[in-house]
Amino acid sequence: MTLTQEPAAAKIEVGGAPGDPTISNGNPFDRLTRALGDAAGWKRLGVAVGVYIVCLGLFGAFVASQKANPFGVYQSLLDSSIFSTGSVPAVLVRAVPIALAALAVSIPARAGLVNVGGEGQLIIGAVAATGVGVALGQHVPGPLGWVAMALAAIACGAVWAGVAGLLRVTVGANEAVTTLLMNFVANDIMLYLLYQPWKDPTGGGQPESRPLTSNEVLPKIFGSSVNLGVIVALVVAIGVYVVLKRSGWGFALRVVGGNQEAARRAGLPVKTLKVSAMLAGGGLAGLGGMLYLAGTQLQLLPGGTLDYGYIAFLAAFLGRHDPLKVVLAALLFSAIAVGAPGLQLNYGFDGNVVDVLLALIVCAPLVLSGYRRKAF
Amino acid sequence: MMNGFEEALTSGVEGGTIILFPALGELIGERAGIVNLGTEGCMLSGALAAYAVGATTGSAWLGVIAGFFAGSVVGFAHGWLVVKQRADQLASGLVLWFLAIGVTSVIGTVYVSQSVTPLPILKVPVLGSVPWLGPILFQHDPLVYASYFLVAIVWWALYRTRAGLVLRATGERPGVVSVAGRRPDLVQIAAVTLGAGLAGIGGAQLSVGYVDSWFDDMTNGYGFVAVAVVLFAAWRPIVVLFGAYLFGIALASASVLEAHGVQINQYLLDSLPYLVTLIALVAFARSGRSRAPEGLALALSNTS
Repeated sequence: MTLTQEPAAAKIEVGGAPGDPTISNGNPFDRLTRALGDAAGWKRLGVAVGVYIVCLGLFGAFVASQKANPFGVYQSLLDSSIFSTGSVPAVLVRAVPIALAALAVSIPARAGLVNVGGEGQLIIGAVAATGVGVALGQHVPGPLGWVAMALAAIACGAVWAGVAGLLRVTVGANEAVTTLLMNFVANDIMLYLLYQPWKDPTGGGQPESRPLTSNEVLPKIFGSSVNLGVIVALVVAIGVYVVLKRSGWGFALRVVGGNQEAARRAGLPVKTLKVSAMLAGGGLAGLGGMLYLAGTQLQLLPGGTLDYGYIAFLAAFLGRHDPLKVVLAALLFSAIAVGAPGLQLNYGFDGNVVDVLLALIVCAPLVLSGYRRKAF
Repeated sequence: MMNGFEEALTSGVEGGTIILFPALGELIGERAGIVNLGTEGCMLSGALAAYAVGATTGSAWLGVIAGFFAGSVVGFAHGWLVVKQRADQLASGLVLWFLAIGVTSVIGTVYVSQSVTPLPILKVPVLGSVPWLGPILFQHDPLVYASYFLVAIVWWALYRTRAGLVLRATGERPGVVSVAGRRPDLVQIAAVTLGAGLAGIGGAQLSVGYVDSWFDDMTNGYGFVAVAVVLFAAWRPIVVLFGAYLFGIALASASVLEAHGVQINQYLLDSLPYLVTLIALVAFARSGRSRAPEGLALALSNTS
């Protein structure tokens, strides 16, 4: 019975698990006013802002060490995301898989589970959508095809995450590790399909699937280059927010995540709730994979997810598992990720250079973990 | 002439060593109560540092030392964030991994095209000539031999020295260690830093011992596998050795089967090591949980 010992160990203040950041009290403005009510509050705000500035400065120092002008690099990142009208749609459509995979982290996090498998769940979703999309071809009208693709993607993503959830509640296999390992399996499955059975015979020998037919491609909204996926993602995010805040299921998840033993004694089906949280999360990530495929990528490619599943984990952490903040974090990270080709072109950096900035931005709340609990 | 089975075992020991170093390092950290998912990042940093120093100075050995230090730096950052700043352990590890991917990809660009003199293969006198076992265990690069000793040293240090006792006590009940007049926070940071240094050596074994090249994200999840190995080996150094070789053999089997013309898609074979690790994790999960250091069980079972 290791479970019953957990609350006792929780009081030990050495490198243990932090308190639950998902349970907030009052609205952010109230908390801010309260926190700033005295001099100490202002000091804490100063420290917080300072840490973020140091983290941004570290990225500047890093690019400077690689003989690039840090101001130029930041300018380039801004230019290629929000300062040019052409790239705002790019930021929006790339935020779709990031936001949905981030919600796939946040829902299980409510129940105290760590889902690091967003990448694998995105891939499996995209694979399922490709399979259905290519099979249907021109035979069915658009909306029916999208729904079929989305359902297949949601089902497969849910199963991929659900397996890890099931292993957690049955044999106790750590879900952070199993979901991570399953990412690599998912990627290998995709590569296998792309190099053998699904390889496009007309693709010039490249490992690509057949492109989706015009029927399957998600339409653009109002003649812009933003596709329907953005609206779907937004609606889903609001839905998740409402469900987590207002539904009995959302409340039960929070109870399980807050104190599993209490939840069990209150008669909640802890295991079922945990698995359901993983299924829901995986389904959303699968949907993210489908929306990105059918809206932006239009054919399955190796490495097509561009680590969005991992970026999503960082976004979920930055947004502190609050669905709306998570979406904002996803937009921010999408804006940074979109800047990668510009940095490659202008400064000769490897495209992964943006990972440094993303990681450093998330380092700030990590550094501030102790401060935050004192402040709010 | 070796047959496929012996080939897989020989290559499995060599490849398993890549996992063995980080797994032993992770074991040290977890015994002190800290999980380091950033092991992947420590390996990546170690792999690049070893390759860069090896290619620049011409000495793979200096590279291995550089790998140790590069891993330690990442590990120290993790220890500081988790112990001093009370950051979430799993999030901190993953963030540092991501940081390592970015930094090594950028710095590593120039080393992709460079070559390195790899660690030499030394045949152990007498033992290396033993039929069958000789080639499998005693015809490798010296880091492989070092890892044999390291398993014994880690076991001895954990169970037979005072420092090991303090380390294990820190992982179980840091409060008790504190009352006994020691600093559990310093023990944890030291353990994570040392463990991450070993992960760096594992990265060095990969870049200057096993594949003898550098490319982006070359650790390919091996650090996560090392964490999994520690979990299913239930924090026992000797079992970690076998767990690491199990992965090494699965890794080697993929290329051996391919070389022998087995008609299975290469990418399906590539997933074999991860599947084997997952199966082992599931098979041994139940037996391992009761052995988990008490302070660690908390970190693993309920985080945001």
